[in-house]
Amino acid sequence: MRRRGQLYLVFILIFSGLVLGQKTPHFYNVDKEIRVEGPIQEINMEPRYVDTSPFLIIKLKDTKTQQMYNIELSPVWFFEQNFYKGEVLVVVGSLYVSGDNNLNIIAREVRFRGETLILRDKHGFPNWRGGKMKRQGRKKGKEF
Amino acid sequence: METAFAISRGIMTMMAFPTAKILIGQGLKTELDSRTGMVTTPQIISSKTRKDIVAETPGVKALSDRIEATLETVSVTKPGPIKKRIEVERAEFSRRGTPLLPQRGKRRYHPFPSFKEEKMKKLAFLVLLIMILNPSLMADSFSLSLYQNMTDNLFQNSLVESDQLSSLSFYVDKNLSRFSVFSEGTYSYLYNNPNLTYYLQDVGLDYLHPLNEKSAVYFSLGGRGAFYRSDFSDYNYLAVNFFTAFKSYTSPTSIINVNYSLEYKNYKSSLFDSLSQALLVSFDKYFQTRTTFKGEISWGYKFFLHPFLSQQTPPMTDYPASYKGRGKGRFTGGGYSPFITKPDGDGQGIQVFSLSGLIAQGLGNKIGLNLTGMRQWTLSGENPFTYIQEFYSVENPSYDRFSWFGTQWGSQLTILMPWNIQFKLGYTRTQKEFPGIESLNLEGESSGITREDRRKQVDLRAEKNFPRFSLYLSYYYIMNHSNDPFFEWTGHFFSVGIEWNFLSGGRK
Repeated sequence: MRRRGQLYLVFILIFSGLVLGQKTPHFYNVDKEIRVEGPIQEINMEPRYVDTSPFLIIKLKDTKTQQMYNIELSPVWFFEQNFYKGEVLVVVGSLYVSGDNNLNIIAREVRFRGETLILRDKHGFPNWRGGKMKRQGRKKGKEF
Repeated sequence: METAFAISRGIMTMMAFPTAKILIGQGLKTELDSRTGMVTTPQIISSKTRKDIVAETPGVKALSDRIEATLETVSVTKPGPIKKRIEVERAEFSRRGTPLLPQRGKRRYHPFPSFKEEKMKKLAFLVLLIMILNPSLMADSFSLSLYQNMTDNLFQNSLVESDQLSSLSFYVDKNLSRFSVFSEGTYSYLYNNPNLTYYLQDVGLDYLHPLNEKSAVYFSLGGRGAFYRSDFSDYNYLAVNFFTAFKSYTSPTSIINVNYSLEYKNYKSSLFDSLSQALLVSFDKYFQTRTTFKGEISWGYKFFLHPFLSQQTPPMTDYPASYKGRGKGRFTGGGYSPFITKPDGDGQGIQVFSLSGLIAQGLGNKIGLNLTGMRQWTLSGENPFTYIQEFYSVENPSYDRFSWFGTQWGSQLTILMPWNIQFKLGYTRTQKEFPGIESLNLEGESSGITREDRRKQVDLRAEKNFPRFSLYLSYYYIMNHSNDPFFEWTGHFFSVGIEWNFLSGGRK
């Protein structure tokens, strides 16, 4: 009986996470995903959405098309990673054109220096976390 | 009027219910014929006049047709016609002479025994209640992770002991405007050493505030609880921590970073209680050759609030199973404890200072290489314990970044492999001395010199991300040479893990 109770507890935990995590999706359009690659031109923190911290915006010039893109990364990545002007990134994300005809990409995946940052899953849901800076090193098993 | 009783941790609540039940803390549920009177002492049932303690009746005996309860000290508080609260100092329940509660020392271990622990139950239910009942706390992200770790040297000493450790974690967070609240729980079970099984719970909130386009500050306030099984319950602690960071681009290719952390830890064994703080300043510069240079200065201070016993009494009086017969001469003095404290000394506070540097080189987009070096000094103080131990994947209060001074060199190769697999290969060498810790021989006699360890470590790590989950794999091989033969050891550490990211919040 007690084990059954514990199992219920675990299932409730899982279920509540599934249910409570659901929200109406918006903005990220999976059908408009593109891949760009090029050097960083500029790095800024800019306000993007109501009631959220300003996003980390990386201006990136695509080497193939020479087009300039504004890459949107969630605010926490400002502290999570160090990006520099001139560094080459490969970015996969959803393209949208803002009112001023700027090309913007909501980043889902960023590759650089042999690492891949997964910012969102393939459906566009964000992977970033609160308290992230405190969690470094605990997530992926034992660190010595 | 029939009554119902709920007993948990020695507190009995008596309420007027149409049916009579007795609920005992360990989950036992048994019907009770309350008409015969669970508590037969008239003083307890009829006392309705005083608000506080109205009766103390040692040796109260309650009888029913199915259960016999012996209550040693009973106090009734807040009596009333609807609800009475009875505090019981000690209660034993038996049915036909057979004890109903498990006897001390005869507990069996199950894969998840700690859910039985009262504190864990309360925490788990608290988390569930917060998640389920409060719609405003709908999670933005929810993840579960499961890690299976294996090692042939759990205690990282010459007495090699293999074990496996399974860790199950959940993580939830919610963004509230510019704040984010988060909670993470981790249950870790050790198969051969279940006494070291533990549960960690973190909760907290953080806040990110941009100062301008190139600068931002980050604040985090968190709490943590660590709950170990009975034999290691002295490791149990509650902690409060504060963390703040400032980051600014001084130019498009250079960054300055300042971090400060403050943490208070309150252990069950007050010897380990501490207040620690650390300040870190780093500066890095990127060059168009894809080279990054980084320099870092760090200062830290850890203050043990009361590490010295008034008399030399071992803080633990019993040997946990994992230590029985081990460390010949190491555990002399009447009991297990690698933490037998000194009667007095300089060990109340330890102050450290370190300088470190990093050179990173990008080789295309798929390969990264970095070299790191670090030198740490102890500015004042020393460790207050007689010796120091690390445990694999289990936090040990005697060992942390404040415990040592010395050097560390490392290199790491990062490769983005086919199928988008991230692979890391690392090599690290460290040389650490532990101030205040004397090297002992295997008989436990002091050699008169400070303990010094030299370590070589090779590690391999791989990570593969799928749409809904990620897989992690890691392997470490460590060779530790020490002037204390007890800590002359090698170890293999293998870990495989999976993390599921369940439906996360909006796609904004």
